[in-house]
Amino acid sequence: MHNFSKNVENFFAQNKILFFALNIAIIITLLKTFQVFAFPEADFSDFFTKNNMKFLFFGKDGEVGGLVLTFVLAISSIAISFVLGSLIGIARWAQIKIFKYPAIVYIEIIRATPLIMVIFWVFFAIPVFSLSFFGVRTSVSPAIAAVIALSIFTSAYVAEIVRAGINSIPKGQFEGAKSVGMNGFQVFFYIILPQAYRKMIPTFISQFVALFKDTSLAYTIGVVEFFRAATILNNRIYLSFEIFSFVALIYFSIAFSMSKFALKLEKKVEKQLNE
Amino acid sequence: MGYDFQWGVILTYKELLIEGLIMTIKLSVIGIFFSFFIGSIVGIARSSKNFFTSLFASYYVEFFRNIPLIVQIFFFYFAFGISQVFPFLETIGTQIGIESVDEFFSALIALILYTSAYIAEAVKAGILSIAKGQEEAAKSIGMNAFQRMYYIIYPQAFRIIIPPLTSQFLNLIKNSSLAMTIGVAELTFSSQQIDAETFRGFEAATAVTLLYIFLTLFTSFWMNILEHKFSKGVKNA
Repeated sequence: MHNFSKNVENFFAQNKILFFALNIAIIITLLKTFQVFAFPEADFSDFFTKNNMKFLFFGKDGEVGGLVLTFVLAISSIAISFVLGSLIGIARWAQIKIFKYPAIVYIEIIRATPLIMVIFWVFFAIPVFSLSFFGVRTSVSPAIAAVIALSIFTSAYVAEIVRAGINSIPKGQFEGAKSVGMNGFQVFFYIILPQAYRKMIPTFISQFVALFKDTSLAYTIGVVEFFRAATILNNRIYLSFEIFSFVALIYFSIAFSMSKFALKLEKKVEKQLNE
Repeated sequence: MGYDFQWGVILTYKELLIEGLIMTIKLSVIGIFFSFFIGSIVGIARSSKNFFTSLFASYYVEFFRNIPLIVQIFFFYFAFGISQVFPFLETIGTQIGIESVDEFFSALIALILYTSAYIAEAVKAGILSIAKGQEEAAKSIGMNAFQRMYYIIYPQAFRIIIPPLTSQFLNLIKNSSLAMTIGVAELTFSSQQIDAETFRGFEAATAVTLLYIFLTLFTSFWMNILEHKFSKGVKNA
């Protein structure tokens, strides 16, 4: 038995495409068996109509919604939190107390708070603050509140990634850069940060995958992204099993392929750094 | 015309908050226990030398890790109908004082599956980091596979994985807030309730956030003590 499994492993290590096909086949068989036993009466024909799919992936006519909105939320939040998180991470890393301590407080508080609370915070707090400081009644659109909340939340995690990236740069780099006459600013921005970012790329993509999954929480404040579109559809046609398993599969295939990509990149970056 | 803060709301509704806190603690404690148990088993399977065992364990990990938790919760609640499939959950639910059994267990099982996938990865990394000599030495004195894992490898791996384990436990506590989406009356749900009754969402959110911070600090404090205890007498700990 032991030899057999070793042989199989070696065989699939050489034939990557066959391994991929085997995986797909096993997964489809498992899912189909599950469906036959748990939901024998499942009927996908009512669900896979052109209108339903259009609503799920693109939202209502004339509005951005569905899976497209999910990507818009994820990409705009990751862009904002990249900038914000880098600033906070550098502040956290720096030895200057007025920058360091606020950064620590920010990171620790955000990381101790559930995302759903951050979303409610932003949704409630923006009207409250604008009323108490500027005396203006504002109402912020849910999608924008979601982007702000996701950015605030993710930037705390990005800050930790950035700090770890900077810390992982060997001290010799600082000393070497100083010895050729660079000042502190130059050392940091020309030598340290570019190397740190390069090391961070895989972790950063994993964070993006997490963010992509987290966008589904925008559901709670009424943003019609992919998951909310699915629940709306569920209320309309009430095919819960069909809808939610389909949504789960779509989320899975996107998140899984991105995380596999991150893994591949990690190996590549490691290899380059070792050369 | 400013916004007048009325922090008294928190005291008026303190019973609601305490009820929510207890529900969150129930979800967290049961969730942590089972996700650690399942995660350890899957993690051990994942680090197995047998190709098929580790392949199926990796299916489990990738499947539950890459689907958003809220989708899993909704799947179990709307599509699966957990208390019809497992009728014994009804009796367990009444014993631990849960009224809405279906909601509670849908959220709980989704939480356990989601977190155990992450824990399995941590366990696998911990086991792989144990020096090979340990296993060989255990084999040479005649231990079988179970004994080697149970007495030699896993206890050493456990010490190493305490920090990632802590962060997964904290994630579970925070993720338990998603149970509110299907109507489990936990902490976040209480804050929504207070907001709905008094329009004081800001104050309620502040109070609940502080409670979450307290919960996570409490947990990481005890996990730190545990780590300290387990690294007694270990080199380079």
